[in-house]
Amino acid sequence: MKSIKHHLMFIFPLMAILLGIEFYLVFERTTHSYEKTLTAGYTMLVVAKKPLNMDTLKNLNSHISSSKQVERENIVSEVVKGVSKSNSDAILKALPYFYNIGLDAYVHTSELDKIKADLEADTNIRRVETFGSSYNASYKLFSFVKFTLKVFILFMGIVSLLLIIKQMEIWKYAHKERMQVMEIFGAPLMLRSGVLFRVALVDAIFATLFVSGIFLYVKFFWAAQSGVEMMMKNQEALFRVGDIGILLGSAVLIVVLAVYSVVFSNKGVQE
Amino acid sequence: MSNVIQASNLTLAYDNGRKEIIKDANFSIKKGDFVFITGPSGSGKSTLLKSLYGQLKPSKGNLVVGGNDLAHISRGKLQELRTHMGIIFQDYKLVNEWNVSKNVVLPLMIRGYSNEIQETQARRLLKHVKLSDAGERYPLELSGGEQQRVGVARALSSNPVVILADEPTGNLDDYSSNVIWDLMENACQQLETTVLVVTHKIPTIFSLPYRHFIIESKGVYEVH
Repeated sequence: MKSIKHHLMFIFPLMAILLGIEFYLVFERTTHSYEKTLTAGYTMLVVAKKPLNMDTLKNLNSHISSSKQVERENIVSEVVKGVSKSNSDAILKALPYFYNIGLDAYVHTSELDKIKADLEADTNIRRVETFGSSYNASYKLFSFVKFTLKVFILFMGIVSLLLIIKQMEIWKYAHKERMQVMEIFGAPLMLRSGVLFRVALVDAIFATLFVSGIFLYVKFFWAAQSGVEMMMKNQEALFRVGDIGILLGSAVLIVVLAVYSVVFSNKGVQE
Repeated sequence: MSNVIQASNLTLAYDNGRKEIIKDANFSIKKGDFVFITGPSGSGKSTLLKSLYGQLKPSKGNLVVGGNDLAHISRGKLQELRTHMGIIFQDYKLVNEWNVSKNVVLPLMIRGYSNEIQETQARRLLKHVKLSDAGERYPLELSGGEQQRVGVARALSSNPVVILADEPTGNLDDYSSNVIWDLMENACQQLETTVLVVTHKIPTIFSLPYRHFIIESKGVYEVH
């Protein structure tokens, strides 16, 4: 019973750190895919005196990834009803060229202003409409959600780390006697720390399995029934096989650092 | 015969050299010597022993053990040197979560001997210390005298070149004390093991020739 309690005291904080890492991975993947959707759905409007081609636009700013000309005849057709052919031709001739411009990424609002300034620097371009206010609102909301989740993950990590340090103190006293005796008899570091390593590695494996299990459940059972559109759309991003490797690697790294800290704090030569 | 231990102008101190315990000591100990170190409480007997197994580095002078200068020894070399030493403590320093057999064969485990050899040695040594039936028991289930006999068995298990004993019979009954002295005498006589014993009192019945060092006023003096 006591042994199980000791294991759980390390497994829980380790699980909290691994949950934080996995949350971060999932969050990065889902927000990346959401960013892509937002990017694909966004265009700015450019009004030019003469026709523009893609190379010219790319030269003005490298973030520009697509351009689509708005058919001038369609614009004119709405306003020339009842107007004579000659007048309609004159209107068409005087009408500037309109382009919907797409970007390669979901850029910061300041970058959006820069793109606008770069485009307006071209004398051929008469006007650029970025629809900045609605872009700005959704960008700020998106950035805020990203920031708060990262702060939450960081906070979780710090609290868990403090719990692990507490557990290391317990290890230090629980294993001190054996490690000191072994050191006096000339045991190398690996042998001295062997028992602690085995205990901690078992805990690391269990913590990884528990966290993987939670996310697999979320992916295959909970996400589909959650009704949360973002979850359902990004179900694939919720957990990947490679994540087990990342979680186990992180857990082992934490274990190695924790065990070595305990072993080195127990060394006994006095100068 | 070559010196196993050689101290030249040896100074031992704590607090980064501020608190001197032993100052400018000179002595040498040969292979097969049996040495008693006595002195008043707090004179530095245990400190000297600590320095001999590298737990305290000399602050001045030289201390050479088995050809290794302990003032400048590397961690790896010190580990290697300690595997050739048998150390006995007044407070036994057994690993309480291990059974008696495992405690006894700790030095063999460190030197990488097979499980079979470890088991054979554990049985043989426990028989020598008159604890044949205690192999599966745990240290805290034994009396002080029995625990110290386990400590002696552990010190002897890897046929060490040097045995360092700190008050090995300090609080023990006569029976356990006699068993321990017999074992150390035998190791010295039959295996030519060098034995250094820190003690308050030299045993009255002791059959081997021995040397006697006294530590007094920070100095180490040979009196016998």
